[in-house]
Amino acid sequence: MKIEKKNEIIMAVIICVVSIVLFAVMFMQFKTIEETDITAIENMREAELRTAISEWKGKYEATQEQLDTNMKSIAEYRETIEKNEEASDLIDEDLKESNMLLGKTDVTGEGVVLTLNNTDNYTVTYSHLLELVNELRYAGAEAISINDVRIVMTEIVEVQLRMMVSGQRISAPYVVKAIGNQTYLSSTLSLKDSGFIDRYQASGMDIKLETSRNVKILKYNGEMNIKYMKEVNTES
Amino acid sequence: MKRKQIAITLGIMCFILAIGIAVQIKTTGHNNSTVAQSLTDDSLRDEVLRWKERYDNAYAELTESEKELTQIRQQASQNDTTSTAKQEQIKANNMLLGTVEVEGPGLQITLEDNAMAAVGLLDPSLVLVHYDDILQVINALNNAGAEAISVNGQRIITTTAITCEGNVIKVNGEKVSSPFVIKAIGSQGALYGALTMPGGYLDILEDYGVIVKTEQVDNLVVEKYNGIISYKYVKNAE
Repeated sequence: MKIEKKNEIIMAVIICVVSIVLFAVMFMQFKTIEETDITAIENMREAELRTAISEWKGKYEATQEQLDTNMKSIAEYRETIEKNEEASDLIDEDLKESNMLLGKTDVTGEGVVLTLNNTDNYTVTYSHLLELVNELRYAGAEAISINDVRIVMTEIVEVQLRMMVSGQRISAPYVVKAIGNQTYLSSTLSLKDSGFIDRYQASGMDIKLETSRNVKILKYNGEMNIKYMKEVNTES
Repeated sequence: MKRKQIAITLGIMCFILAIGIAVQIKTTGHNNSTVAQSLTDDSLRDEVLRWKERYDNAYAELTESEKELTQIRQQASQNDTTSTAKQEQIKANNMLLGTVEVEGPGLQITLEDNAMAAVGLLDPSLVLVHYDDILQVINALNNAGAEAISVNGQRIITTTAITCEGNVIKVNGEKVSSPFVIKAIGSQGALYGALTMPGGYLDILEDYGVIVKTEQVDNLVVEKYNGIISYKYVKNAE
């Protein structure tokens, strides 16, 4: 009787100890598993890191390309100086390129043409055009015009219900032309919910989108005078 | 009888515990991949840094080459008046394009999120600065004849887009955040007058609860564009 009871107690104690050990092991493992949940974030990080790499790589390549072009130009100028030749051809070329970048020349290229029009219950405002121009730039547009007025910096206003773009009066329908990758431009604008077309067509704006292999955009007609700014001389 | 009960209880308990452990071992089996994961992450991180460093070096060289190009162009054109004029024109174009740092009189505007929004006292959609607010201010500055504009150090060029991805505002693809410091060079009177007029955009923003500060500065420095301006699709007509 006594021995049996003693045995029982021993057994109970053993079971108790074993259980405690097992639970301890289990909890330890739970903790480890909680930590492994970070894997999700780590995975996300990997994707982010890969985008970061391709971004920096792209920037590096573009910079390197531009650097090579500059070096070539410098070498060409140096050659004309050494040979005592006229550098006017080189300068003409550089000026032409620089004018093109600034919007002072007529340009062509693939792109999109959008036509926005008022309807009975919806009026196109300057804010819409401002937003559209910004979205086109986001989609990589290199040149933009509205009703053949070139947009260089954004200057779109409404003066007494009249729309003015770059100081020139325009009226509906608004034909917005943009040169850039036509697939990218049209798909960005047509994105469901977040794209310009989907957002405003639903509200009642009349929008037509066409892609074209040959969009022609006229040069900026206004003055580009510099009166107030001057170059900061980094040498001194 | 009692023994049998104990044995069965013990058996069931052991069984459950064994299953529990087995399941957990299987889960932690993935742990090994976590180690591998963080190893690849580390190497990816290294690679990001490597490319960034390469870019930084290339960009520094590019900045140097641009200066050199301007100098040599000047040198090559000094004997010829038409060339000199064209060379001056290129320099002016660069200022307008945003490829050089410029200074001059102008207006500095600071737009700041109202801290009350964080406490929930005011409607955040009204008192926070949104990307289209910045777009509107830049448009107003351009209308008032601004010659150069930057937002938190990002020069606004002819292809700059201002976007909003979630809570993040990006200018030229770079993140910017409140307070937004918008610098514009131009006629101080014209810029200040156009921006602060009653019913003007800054007036509207202030009414909403955004913290708006304007300051006329005599010698404002507007940063250069931090990238490369080159076109892939645009070609000269003719």
